[in-house]
Amino acid sequence: MNTDEVKFKEYQVVQPPHLYMGFTKDELMLKTFFLLSIIAFASVVIMGVNAFIHIITALGTVLIVHNLIHSYQKWKGYRITYESPTSPMVAGMIVGLSMPIASTFEVTAGVAFITILVFKYGQGKYFQRKYLNPAAAAKVLLLLLLSIMLFFENPLSTGMIFHPHHLELNLFTNEGFIESMWIFQRAVLPFLGIRLPATQSLMFWQTHGWIGGACGILVLIVGAIGAYWLRYKWRIIVSSLISMTLLSITIALLTGGDILLRIAFHVFTGSFIFMVFFMATEPQSTPMPGKSQYLFGISLAILTFILQLFNVLGGSIIALVLLNIATPFLDKVGFKKPYGHRESKGGK
Amino acid sequence: MVAHRKNDYNFKERGRFEVDISMKKTAVGDPFTIVPPAEKMVLFLRQHVGRETKPIVQPGDPVKCGQKIGEINEGDPWSVPVHSPVDGKIVTIKKLSHPLSGEEENAVIIETTSEGQNSSLSPLNPNDVSKEQLVERVREAGIVGLGGASFPTHVKLTPNKKLSHLIINAKESDSNIACDFRLMVEKSREVVNGILLIAKILDVTHITFASRTKEGQTPEFDELLRENNITIARIRPNYSVGSERLLVKEVLNKEIPSGKFPPDVGVVVHNIATALAISRAVYNGEALISRGLTFYSKKTGGKNLWVRMGTPINHVLSFLGMSSGEFERYVLGSIMMGPLVSDPSLPILKATSGITAFTREERDPYVNPLPCIRCAYCNIVCPVFIYPQLIMEAEKKGNVKALHKLHVVDCIECGLCSYVCPSRIKLTPYLVGGKRRIREKKE
Repeated sequence: MNTDEVKFKEYQVVQPPHLYMGFTKDELMLKTFFLLSIIAFASVVIMGVNAFIHIITALGTVLIVHNLIHSYQKWKGYRITYESPTSPMVAGMIVGLSMPIASTFEVTAGVAFITILVFKYGQGKYFQRKYLNPAAAAKVLLLLLLSIMLFFENPLSTGMIFHPHHLELNLFTNEGFIESMWIFQRAVLPFLGIRLPATQSLMFWQTHGWIGGACGILVLIVGAIGAYWLRYKWRIIVSSLISMTLLSITIALLTGGDILLRIAFHVFTGSFIFMVFFMATEPQSTPMPGKSQYLFGISLAILTFILQLFNVLGGSIIALVLLNIATPFLDKVGFKKPYGHRESKGGK
Repeated sequence: MVAHRKNDYNFKERGRFEVDISMKKTAVGDPFTIVPPAEKMVLFLRQHVGRETKPIVQPGDPVKCGQKIGEINEGDPWSVPVHSPVDGKIVTIKKLSHPLSGEEENAVIIETTSEGQNSSLSPLNPNDVSKEQLVERVREAGIVGLGGASFPTHVKLTPNKKLSHLIINAKESDSNIACDFRLMVEKSREVVNGILLIAKILDVTHITFASRTKEGQTPEFDELLRENNITIARIRPNYSVGSERLLVKEVLNKEIPSGKFPPDVGVVVHNIATALAISRAVYNGEALISRGLTFYSKKTGGKNLWVRMGTPINHVLSFLGMSSGEFERYVLGSIMMGPLVSDPSLPILKATSGITAFTREERDPYVNPLPCIRCAYCNIVCPVFIYPQLIMEAEKKGNVKALHKLHVVDCIECGLCSYVCPSRIKLTPYLVGGKRRIREKKE
């Protein structure tokens, strides 16, 4: 410990304040977990038992790894990284909800394993901070590994998260876009016997894509509640959603397509709406200054939109990881002028 | 008894964060109780922001209540004298750990023989004396800012700029303090007299009384203010606005430029308790030897006490029927900004507006902080719009350039960033450290 550290340790004891709000990280994580559970419940209702197994697999894997590490740290007398399991629980839930329903359970377990071991524990230990969103980074890493399967003779049968048929879709034209929407038109409300058009199924009842995006509207509502209640970095959310909506309108106008369908696809697809609320707001890997958060959100929407148009599977998480890497630079710009420096208010 | 609605006790900060002021709630209805002097009084020779005063008494000397014991240094415009709070005998002058600086500083120990009569100075008629004489009286009476800053009041009464506005700060933002409110209820005439004296000395055209009270809570006091053309500004329930810089913005919508002071925008801010001390110094010829403060412990709740400076904390505890063995640590003044001491033999200083006593069972919430999760709560709540978390990172690395860029010098040290941190990190010391690092670099 150097002199400065000793000095600060002494400060911590006697320096003010001596009053604390009492809202701890554990409480923040527990409340986030509660919000995610609402989304998980809806996803299971909409997508069925497979969604449940994915979520449980992710949660279980994360908790097993966490408990093993926790016990090891305790046994060896090392500093305990996570005293309580709340943060790993949130990570596990996010992994479960960010997996495509078509994925295999082994892949989900693999992503969860990499998330907790490499990008949650490992990243924190070696960099003293999480630069990359753990779940997103784990998915990108696995995606890269699984891309090797492209060279397999029959890649779909190997059970993977990468579906090469996506590359055949042409989202740049209205015809290609409409054609690619067939997957969403299969949505059915079983107990009412209703078959929903693509626009509505994308927003309310998706049986394809990310588990967490089964009901885009619910994610929007629950996410908005979280942003207000738990003070998520709302500027990222707002700027992403507005940017993506504007981009959707623009492409719809340019290609002469249905504006609502474009918005429903680009904004309400699970890989975007769930990611925006619950992954892109992950505090450690996102910028601090307000303007930088806007920049982060806008860039995230643009990158995701471009990758979506090119049918890059996992485009949104690739975009998120790229912006996570840019965060230390974004932290150096976009500062608000402090009190005393705002000319319009009389400052210098 | 003053009735308070529940929402009177929710101080709302930026980002919808709330400051808990339940301590204050238990004290607002409690009238001042006079605490008799202790057998031995401990008077630090520095109770202001300037240099230590010179002791002008020797061990064995008898002293009278109000008699000067610490004299200002020749040519030092910042220091103010220290007076004996009792009739008694000087026991010794020795080095003790100063509650504010933590350094060893000289303190005079007085053995009390009687409470004495505080009238070492002759009363003045403000109409018969010049402004300079009034300022000199304020200094001779040893008056400093009683809100907590201990800034010598005579300096603030002699600005080198023309002022138009005087703001009296009775915002009483601290969660544990209710003594300013009691001054409005119990010492209203003297407070108003003090305000008028300050206005006369400064020759200001506007006087604003900034209060957190609601209409009708202190009707007699409000009437007195109106009779004397003092505007009442009812400030929203908020902690940080109690800071001098933010209060000016709140009342006058004027932002004090960075590195400047209220007089630079034609304003001066004085605390309500300072106004009372000025009134007593001029009209009664009283040196500043006692003050009102709010004591809080879980056992007693909030208690407003009238205490002489130099009274040890353990004497206050025994007056309240408790012993120092029941407590582990004490906060002097604001619970958000005041220092923490563990030695109950340390005394009340001029700027001690409160004492909060914690037992061993009441654990320090900031012990064993977790790693920062960069939630940005500290940025959101910061009333001066700086980035405490980024400043902490820069300060840890000793990065002066980044500290400059992050405007650490504009921090008002309110403590809100630490207060809201979900990881229980005390960020304030890093901000204070950053400010000092920049200051040292300049020197």
